[in-house]
Amino acid sequence: MSGPTLFFSALMSDEAKSIARGLQKRDPDLLDRLIEQYQYRLFRYLVYVTGSRERAEDFFQETWIRVLERGHQYDGKSKFEAWLFAIARHLVIDWQRSKKAQSLDTLTDPSQEHPLQLANENVPSPLHQVLSHETEENVQASLNKIPAIYREVLVLRFQEELQIEEMAGVLSVPLSTVKSRLYRGLEALRGALQGNTAS
Amino acid sequence: MSENVHDRALQLIAQGRVERVPETDRVWLAVHLEECEFCGEHARQTDRALRLLRTAIIALPDGLASRTQFRVRLRAEELREHGLGRKLLWTIAAVSWALGIASAPWVWRAFEWVGHRTGAPKLIWEVGFVMWWAVPALLATGVVLAMWNGRAGEPE
Repeated sequence: MSGPTLFFSALMSDEAKSIARGLQKRDPDLLDRLIEQYQYRLFRYLVYVTGSRERAEDFFQETWIRVLERGHQYDGKSKFEAWLFAIARHLVIDWQRSKKAQSLDTLTDPSQEHPLQLANENVPSPLHQVLSHETEENVQASLNKIPAIYREVLVLRFQEELQIEEMAGVLSVPLSTVKSRLYRGLEALRGALQGNTAS
Repeated sequence: MSENVHDRALQLIAQGRVERVPETDRVWLAVHLEECEFCGEHARQTDRALRLLRTAIIALPDGLASRTQFRVRLRAEELREHGLGRKLLWTIAAVSWALGIASAPWVWRAFEWVGHRTGAPKLIWEVGFVMWWAVPALLATGVVLAMWNGRAGEPE
């Protein structure tokens, strides 16, 4: 590993440990700072996972309450954001289970024939809203066709820039599953692009 | 060009965006993308879609952070109060047990003396002594269980 990489790695590790110590003590100032610092990334992730801004807002607040209550479980050995996303994801899964008695995975895995039901299918997804400003209709239509389970890994990888190992921690699945979902996500994207080009 | 060549190219396009691609494959793909319009277009569209995903902007609701900070502080205060109550209960329990153990020989003698004075069977005053120990512990257990039940709906 190069010098700068080692330096930043050590810096991040110190930051994570400092967060872990603060969470152990339920330091309110630290929590205020973390909420400010991660608000955009967490909210964006929740919007993509839940498909609803209102629900994302509820989960956002619940996630931070859970961070406060379970902060002692964070050991500072992994990135804080990976742990944060894992908490948020578990809350969404719990909600999905209570709603439909099924896990997010089964709801969102196209092979299970139960694609994730968004809050209101008539409301364009955030991705759709973003892409609606684009002139490239093929790309817009293609991204909207990506099932949520694949969109989630694409978001974690390409927006949050988590490593595959970190994603495995967030999703509680093996590395091979993360890779396979990423490949399938890209494949779905590619397939959708191909379909749109052909039509 | 055979279909397998395009399949390999598409697979490498995806792989290259997920993990490291071996140098030989990378070079092969670069050459192939130069020659093949079909695969080249797919690579460009995939990159474009990922770029859009990366740069997608979502507006934050007004006051989201401050509302959350307020709720978190309220919950922190609740937890702190719960913590103080628990500490107080455990302290009382610890002091009670310490006093109970320290005074046990005198209490035993007191029960024995009362038993002799009243002519009660040995079993009766022994049971009385055990009750003197057990009743406070049972009450404390009841209080703790009631507290746990009260918090059953709350997260840990």
